[in-house]
Amino acid sequence: MERVLSKITEVTSDPYAYVTGLKERTGKKVIGCFPMYVPEEIVHAADLIPVVIWRGNESVTWGHAHVPPYDCGITRSFVDDAVRGKLNFMDGMVFHVRQCLQVGEFPLIIERNVKPAYQKVLYLPPIYEGEAVRSFLLDDLESFKTSLEDFTGKKISDDSLKKSIEIYNENRSLLERVYEIRREKPGILRAREVMQTVWSSMLMLKEDHNELLKELIKDMEGKTVESKGERVKVIPVGCLCQTLQFDILDMIEDLGMIITDDDLYVGSRYFANKANLNGSPIEALADRYLTKTPLCPTKGVWDIHWGDEAIKKMRDNNAKGIISIRVKYCPPHTCYYPDFKSKMVEEGVPEVMIEMEHEIMSLEGIKTRLQSFAETIGGV
Amino acid sequence: MDVKYKVNRLQTTNEIRPLVDKHWADLRTAKERGELVAWASGPTFIFAYAMGMKCHFMAGYSAYCGGIGAGEEVLKVAEMAGDLPETCSYHRLHMGMGEAVARGIPINPQAILPMPDLMVAGRLCPEMSHYAEGLHRRFGVRVLPIDLPAVANIEDMPRVREFVYRQFKEVVIPTIEEVCGKPFDYDRMSEILSVLKKVATLRNQCWEFFKDKPSRWTLWDYGVSIAPVFYLMGNPAGITYYEKLLKELQERREKGIPAIAPDGEKYRLYWDGWLPWAFLGKFMRKFTPHGAVVLCGRYPWEFFPHPELIDPEHPVESWADLYYGMESHLVYTFSPKGTIDLIGKLIDDYSLDGLIMFSSKTCRVMNLAQPEVIDVLDKKYGIPGVIIEGDMIDSAMISDAQIETRLQALYEMIDSRRR
Repeated sequence: MERVLSKITEVTSDPYAYVTGLKERTGKKVIGCFPMYVPEEIVHAADLIPVVIWRGNESVTWGHAHVPPYDCGITRSFVDDAVRGKLNFMDGMVFHVRQCLQVGEFPLIIERNVKPAYQKVLYLPPIYEGEAVRSFLLDDLESFKTSLEDFTGKKISDDSLKKSIEIYNENRSLLERVYEIRREKPGILRAREVMQTVWSSMLMLKEDHNELLKELIKDMEGKTVESKGERVKVIPVGCLCQTLQFDILDMIEDLGMIITDDDLYVGSRYFANKANLNGSPIEALADRYLTKTPLCPTKGVWDIHWGDEAIKKMRDNNAKGIISIRVKYCPPHTCYYPDFKSKMVEEGVPEVMIEMEHEIMSLEGIKTRLQSFAETIGGV
Repeated sequence: MDVKYKVNRLQTTNEIRPLVDKHWADLRTAKERGELVAWASGPTFIFAYAMGMKCHFMAGYSAYCGGIGAGEEVLKVAEMAGDLPETCSYHRLHMGMGEAVARGIPINPQAILPMPDLMVAGRLCPEMSHYAEGLHRRFGVRVLPIDLPAVANIEDMPRVREFVYRQFKEVVIPTIEEVCGKPFDYDRMSEILSVLKKVATLRNQCWEFFKDKPSRWTLWDYGVSIAPVFYLMGNPAGITYYEKLLKELQERREKGIPAIAPDGEKYRLYWDGWLPWAFLGKFMRKFTPHGAVVLCGRYPWEFFPHPELIDPEHPVESWADLYYGMESHLVYTFSPKGTIDLIGKLIDDYSLDGLIMFSSKTCRVMNLAQPEVIDVLDKKYGIPGVIIEGDMIDSAMISDAQIETRLQALYEMIDSRRR
């Protein structure tokens, strides 16, 4: 297990170097896909390397000249990385500009300051009623496919797209298995290791990642975990688009709580739902996008409640509480949060919200909140 | 000797308040008369109007709330109900008003609206969906959502226009027919557009007086006159209002009366983003002593700058075209790139000296890529610009000192480029 975890740590501790190396090793072009819903399979089928754009590892500097300080962490960090040339290894970038307003900033900024060889905007609509939504979505995905064909000069056949979907589906199944084992053997991986495992999937070629996961799963299946006494289970929820600071995950576990499952983007949300391979592959990708669960506040779903979903996940895991992780200046989560909180109160579910920023963050303040939460739910 | 500048107030603008008061009062009392009530965001209220429903408009209500000084107390209720201060202040206003009604918390009665029979939620910006979702979750409001994408590349405009048109025809109209229990009234929609065409044509004639040097009126005057070209759409009183306004501006030109005394403006400025509805007077007091007049802006120029393209004979198609036509689209629906084209044209047409980019801390719909926009325009036209941060409604987001410093810097940049 150490070998696999060490590889995953290597990939995620310096994703810039890793992806640059991957590009050199494979001779393929790299396309940065801004989280959360760019269908990477189409990029993969174009024989390009899709990587999910990440929140960087340095404080924002030049980026301040391009985006206001009241944009979220990944927005500021990505723009900073881009204008400083740290992402020059990306040959192209794709943005789903209707996900939130901040993504709408990117096309002009990137076009003027970075000028990648390929840039594409997707409009992927919210999941509203009516056939027009599905038609527009299909049209958007076809347009994405055509633009990649124009970029590479090669057609993307249905067969190659199906093959890519198959590889991605396998990755989803394998990640689901990792989560399943974690639920069976709490503590077998630290929460940060699980997040790194999912994150590495966003950075590596999926074929390579699948092999890594198979080895990890084999190791996990063979390993027994000694009980470390009664640790209270909690479910982290939220943190859309970006990784959480690993220190916070460590803090949760060091305070006597244990994470057996999650509802995080760099977590179970990334690999939820497989694309159906029967029929048209573009339609399969559209149907996957149009799936309402796990509920995402960027997708305009309101006939089910995010709070109900989170509570179900908590109860399925026999967990005792929910830790909401809200990215500062994330409007979709921020607008939803009061209703999420009300649901928790209504159902008598212990819940605490912590805010995360890209840079300035008082870990001590967060620790105090988490400590008192742990005491409330009986973790200490 | 320093010149003492003073605003020459227009008389006609005094007549707008009774018109908007009546609109909101009619809406408040609609249920008592057994009328159906709709709420709307984005350009969807016209469908409710066509069916005789009384209808609110998200930004219009928010502007009204801010304008009558009710913003702060309604925002406080929202905060008490759990809404976080960084949330869009329009969103918070609606949540706060709903919570005040539901919990019986006293607020300014003019800020209270009846809960709607239908909310037609046009998702021009994602927050417009979030607020509708929130109202549905908290108060069980029935929502009819449609997506109204902002287009990043002009070549995408035709397919987005088709998407929006289909939603109007396949979702909005059938649902409103079901709620109202009668067929959609295309004739009434045509009438509304006919009135709009007249009002917008008169309004465009008034815009010509911004080109005068000195200007005969200010963007703030136009800001308070916006309702007839938007949520008072279809009301013939709008025609009368703009006829009077036009007459007054003509008289000013004849008599040589400028927007600010004694001799008109020293700086001719552009305003980007929302108008700060709750703080119009406050901002005016920051401009006028310096001889600065704000003449044009993106948001106020969104409202049908090409009335000649309004086609009342084909109301639904025309409505889609007014937002997504290649020639007639809104600036917002082609944002942020379209913004550059619009401002460039305004700089030329209105002889502007500088740009003020108002960046709302809680609503990014107009903020997109503002530093890039300033940079492009400065390089192309040699016009300096500054960003000032604030909010349309929430005074906690306004820092007077920061704003004054940046405005001062703008005036100095303009002076230095004139030397």
